[in-house]
Amino acid sequence: MLDRVSIAVGEKIVLRDIDLRIDKNEVLFLLGPNGAGKSTLLRALIGYPGHLIVSGKIYFEGEDVTELPMEARVAKGLAFAHQIPPKLLGVRVKQLLEALCRKNICDVYEIANEIGVLHLLDREFGKGFSGGELKRIEVATLMAQKPKLPLIDEPDSGVDVDSIEVIARAIKKLIDLSPYRSAILVTHSALISRYIEPTKVCILMSGTIKVCDGKDLIDEVFRHGFRELA
Amino acid sequence: MGLESWLKEVEVRAREGLSRPSPFGVDVDISSFLEVKEGSPRLDEAKVKEVGVDLSAKTLYMQIDQMYYRYISRIPGVEIMRIEDFAETYPEEAKEYLWKLVDPGKDKYTALAALKGRGGYFIRVKKGVKVEEPIMACLFMSIGGLQAPHNVVIVEKGAEATVYTGCTIAPEALGLHVGISEFYVEENAVLRFVMVHSWNRVSHVRPRTGVYVKQSGKYISYYVNLAKVKTLQTYPIVHLSDNAYAYLASIVLSFEDAYIDVGSAANLDGENASVEIVSRSLARDTSNIVARASITAKQGRGHIDCRGLMLSNRASIKTIPELQALTPNAILTHEASIGRLAEDEINYLISKGFEKEEAVAILLRGFVNVEIKGLPQKVKEYIETIERLTVEKSM
Repeated sequence: MLDRVSIAVGEKIVLRDIDLRIDKNEVLFLLGPNGAGKSTLLRALIGYPGHLIVSGKIYFEGEDVTELPMEARVAKGLAFAHQIPPKLLGVRVKQLLEALCRKNICDVYEIANEIGVLHLLDREFGKGFSGGELKRIEVATLMAQKPKLPLIDEPDSGVDVDSIEVIARAIKKLIDLSPYRSAILVTHSALISRYIEPTKVCILMSGTIKVCDGKDLIDEVFRHGFRELA
Repeated sequence: MGLESWLKEVEVRAREGLSRPSPFGVDVDISSFLEVKEGSPRLDEAKVKEVGVDLSAKTLYMQIDQMYYRYISRIPGVEIMRIEDFAETYPEEAKEYLWKLVDPGKDKYTALAALKGRGGYFIRVKKGVKVEEPIMACLFMSIGGLQAPHNVVIVEKGAEATVYTGCTIAPEALGLHVGISEFYVEENAVLRFVMVHSWNRVSHVRPRTGVYVKQSGKYISYYVNLAKVKTLQTYPIVHLSDNAYAYLASIVLSFEDAYIDVGSAANLDGENASVEIVSRSLARDTSNIVARASITAKQGRGHIDCRGLMLSNRASIKTIPELQALTPNAILTHEASIGRLAEDEINYLISKGFEKEEAVAILLRGFVNVEIKGLPQKVKEYIETIERLTVEKSM
């Protein structure tokens, strides 16, 4: 839960007075135009360095985690899928997944098969990957983390239709296997809504949440666009 | 000219070279290494293990200082002996192979090795013999002084082998190591050469290597410096004939006030010859690394990939990649970069649930990992162990 949270990146306050709550069995889609601050919000939630909470509180499982560093929040069960993961020189996809699976007890090949990245296992992490491949390996790392609450940034941007389907299937499974069966997904095109149905949709614009409602809000966005909705 | 006359000529050239400094690296006063140092050679098995040498290997050459030698080959088709025994057993061949790829008068170190060196291995892998298990060599310095072995490896037509050499020294022994290595890779043969160095904070190291790869032969070299050293300079030169290929990787970790100047040079003489030179430098404390790479080509393809990782605010890394095309038929490229571990990569891994130290270890492992295709499983395992060690020592 976010209680009147304002977030600064560097000197600049990017998000103001954000109130947001996600409950059990809730799949929240966070929509908004480019530059609205959606990714910033997810990064602030996970505690990414450089994202300063200037006011307000973040609670997870009833505990105030506002001051906790990223590693502590991840240890509590929050996990973040990046929009574009960095390239990791010389680090093979398999090595990274193996390291994650050693921590969280999982099967690298099962995960890789599920998300269709078996052919990428011996490749250098992120090097020369297509948009779809980047998203797939990112979701694969999330699956290997077994999070309580996945925070997923733009799983559908720059991705071909086949990949979206595979990614959506994996995210659904991830949600089903998580203890709260919840997730926050950031999307500006909402393409993934064809495959995953949200239970709650919030629109983030100009650094603040404009409106939250049920899944029908996506249709409104498709019909009128963000500007008109605002 | 017989062997005796040839070795006399070698001696003359060496005497001319005795006062010639190397164009690269720190100049070392060799006067104190001209006299034989007395003492009893002792093997430190723990140090030998550190450089990955398996003393129970089927084929092994071991040398301690310039006094103790042991060698054995239990693999059919692999011949191994001390270089002096090679010269005595096969004088005609010795004349053809000794001091042909390394000039004894090149600099004071080759000269010193030619005049005062003892031992070194002769390894021959006979025609068509393919050996998966590494042929092990251990060069250990226990009392310090000079150790200048002369190594010759011949991989005959269609044969395939890996030579694994670990060189190390007792702590605080003041030593100068000048290994002369001449490798001959014949038509369609493959030689993989792994060399692991682990010296001490007072030692000087000047290996001198020449490699000749005949038509369609392959030479794969993997060099690692794992530990402290005072000064180290080496610049192997590989000559490639038609369709020959070489992969030359150097992973260099430096500590304290070490001055390390390491490189590889390749001459692409033949049609369709190709080479990849890869270097990874990791500088700690106040150390200095110069990473050189040079390709001279009449034809064929060559690529240089030099990367440096600064692990300290007071260290220095310099990369010097050189490409020289002698005709329009050569295609040569290089990429080079130096920096620190990227903060966003560390944060990315922390966001995946790794502690900072684990994240750094993963990135360091990635940095030192170079992709060598077609290695036998056993050699892969050795290299993985070396990579793990390098990461541990980098942190």
